[in-house]
Amino acid sequence: MKFGRSWLPAHIFAWLYMVLLVVPLYYLLVSAFKTNDQIFGSPFSLPTSLSTTNFTESFSSAHLGPAVLNSMLVTVLALVLTLALAIPAAFAIARTEGRVGALVERVFSLGFLIPTFAALFPTFLLAAATGLFHTRAFMVLFLPATAMPLSVVILVQFMRTIPREMEEAARMDGASTFAVLRHVYTPMCMPGIATILLLNFLTFWNEYLYSLVIIGPDPEQRTVQVALPTLKSLTGTDYGILTAGTVLTLVPVWAVYTVLQKRMQQALVSGAVKM
Amino acid sequence: MSGCSTLASADSDPGTLLVHTQLGTTAPGSATYTAVVKAFEKENPGIRVKNLVNGDDLPQVYETSRLARKEPDVVMVNLYDKTLAWTDVGATVDVKGYLDDWGLRDRVLPAALTEWTDGKGRIRAFPYFATNWPVAYNTHLLDRAGVGSVPTTGDQLIGAARKLRAKGIAPVTVGGNDWTGQKLLAQIIQTFLTPEEARQVYTSGDFSGSRGARAGIDYFVDLRDAGVFADKAQGLTSDTMTTQYNTEAAAIQSAMSSALAKVPAKAAGHTEIGGWPLAPGAAHEKPTILRSYTLIGFWVSPNGTKKISTVEKFLRFMYRPDVVSRFITESGRDMALVTDTVSKDFPLVAEAQQLGDRVGQALLPDLYVPPTATQPLITATSTAFTRGTSAASVRSALESAYRTA
Repeated sequence: MKFGRSWLPAHIFAWLYMVLLVVPLYYLLVSAFKTNDQIFGSPFSLPTSLSTTNFTESFSSAHLGPAVLNSMLVTVLALVLTLALAIPAAFAIARTEGRVGALVERVFSLGFLIPTFAALFPTFLLAAATGLFHTRAFMVLFLPATAMPLSVVILVQFMRTIPREMEEAARMDGASTFAVLRHVYTPMCMPGIATILLLNFLTFWNEYLYSLVIIGPDPEQRTVQVALPTLKSLTGTDYGILTAGTVLTLVPVWAVYTVLQKRMQQALVSGAVKM
Repeated sequence: MSGCSTLASADSDPGTLLVHTQLGTTAPGSATYTAVVKAFEKENPGIRVKNLVNGDDLPQVYETSRLARKEPDVVMVNLYDKTLAWTDVGATVDVKGYLDDWGLRDRVLPAALTEWTDGKGRIRAFPYFATNWPVAYNTHLLDRAGVGSVPTTGDQLIGAARKLRAKGIAPVTVGGNDWTGQKLLAQIIQTFLTPEEARQVYTSGDFSGSRGARAGIDYFVDLRDAGVFADKAQGLTSDTMTTQYNTEAAAIQSAMSSALAKVPAKAAGHTEIGGWPLAPGAAHEKPTILRSYTLIGFWVSPNGTKKISTVEKFLRFMYRPDVVSRFITESGRDMALVTDTVSKDFPLVAEAQQLGDRVGQALLPDLYVPPTATQPLITATSTAFTRGTSAASVRSALESAYRTA
């Protein structure tokens, strides 16, 4: 394929964008193999050694193993709950034509207006009152609540594109409402489901403030985002160990992103053919 | 759902002592702390110590735990910023009675007891870590620049800075954008203040009303505009400061013991420990350093009082001379307790411990600055280290920090 001169600016911007993304990642990776003096003295130079000491030190001293498992537990359960709530809610709203349906949809949209910090104290009080303070269970219940507005709004838009004739055909074959949702709407909304899975995974995995306050610092319960900052110390941080720990915690994110991104693209293509 | 074992809290075991600490990962002293806790558990088979580790966010996490009445039994943290209010609001208890009942008072340095005692005579926590905060001079770099001896006056310091700059060496490196800069600024401002005057100034925030504080700020501005501090000091942090000194890019730093312990052997070999140079007419006779006995203490929480016999065993163990010595010899920490042990593997820390009366002592303002003014003061510090900022503007920035608090 040949490109004319008119493509040149696009190429330049694309490469610049790539550099903007790659430079911080490169800095993070090379720092993970360096000492503090090397990081601050020559930040962008290649490491002189590929020793994995920083990685093993960060993994053991911050107890990153249990922390990663805790993050996975909280994230996966919260994602399952989000889907279990958002799909039926979106299905109902998408199929409703009356004012009540429109009102409920707007109520979900109002969730966008609540700032994260504003909800912290009431959420803390709720956790204390329910006896779920210092538990991961509260976060499993709380995270889906924060994700519902975006998830429902995205899924409603996807479900509205599904022709009514599909549902009518299923009904004629004797399908119940649940069967319509299970066998017609859900498969055809896979692009939307993959999208909210990906977005919510990143949000849940990276959540810090609420996990810090609600779950707390117990090494047996804390998530990876709470464990990682324990490598930082006011009286002297070893940034080699800190960046090595950061790289380790990014691996699951990278793996899930890669898998889901592929699934999302596949779902988008298959959805286009079906429709 | 709280009964679900996988997801539920596990912090209510009566045989477990919950310790909320900043030690346990990579903070200086963590390895020794972890080892002595294991030794304690071995000596006391019925007790398990569970460490809850947080970094700089420990006070915030502890306070929310306390609000929910699920706070840990013992907290290991310094007396600074938020923690200054803990005893007053009942977040932790007065330990004066325990200290006497358990016979541990004699183990504590008198200066440490004074610093940990509040205005109502309550002892906020069991003192543990202290720190010296001297000035480190790289004599090799000073020699290279033609500076024959460590400067002891402001004029000598300005002269040394000019010669160092001519050789491409940064003179005094400092984290002008964080707490290290705030402490050095406070130390220089106190050049013309007696301890009592300094206490008054830092309690009230009235830097314009005190003649000594005004003169101290003028002295700071003179030094700054004469190029004494490293370039762009207003944007530097403690990490860049220690790196510049450790890599011998800078010749002088004001560093606490934990930073001195990390100076590489090469730079440590030609480092001389001293105080900050004085101006003519100063209130001190000798160059000054900072000393603090409030770096880490053992605070007892209301929940801790329910397990007070376990807390007692733990603290008696941590106060034992052999345990205290381990922190000095293995981690190079300064202790707020009586001990004869001197660090051998951390020569600069030992040198700072032995400065004695060869230096004067400035007041560490942490105990007198209102907690709400602590962070605004650090922002004002960055303004102060910005070249060209007048003395009046520096005073105004410092006073604004108290007003916005």
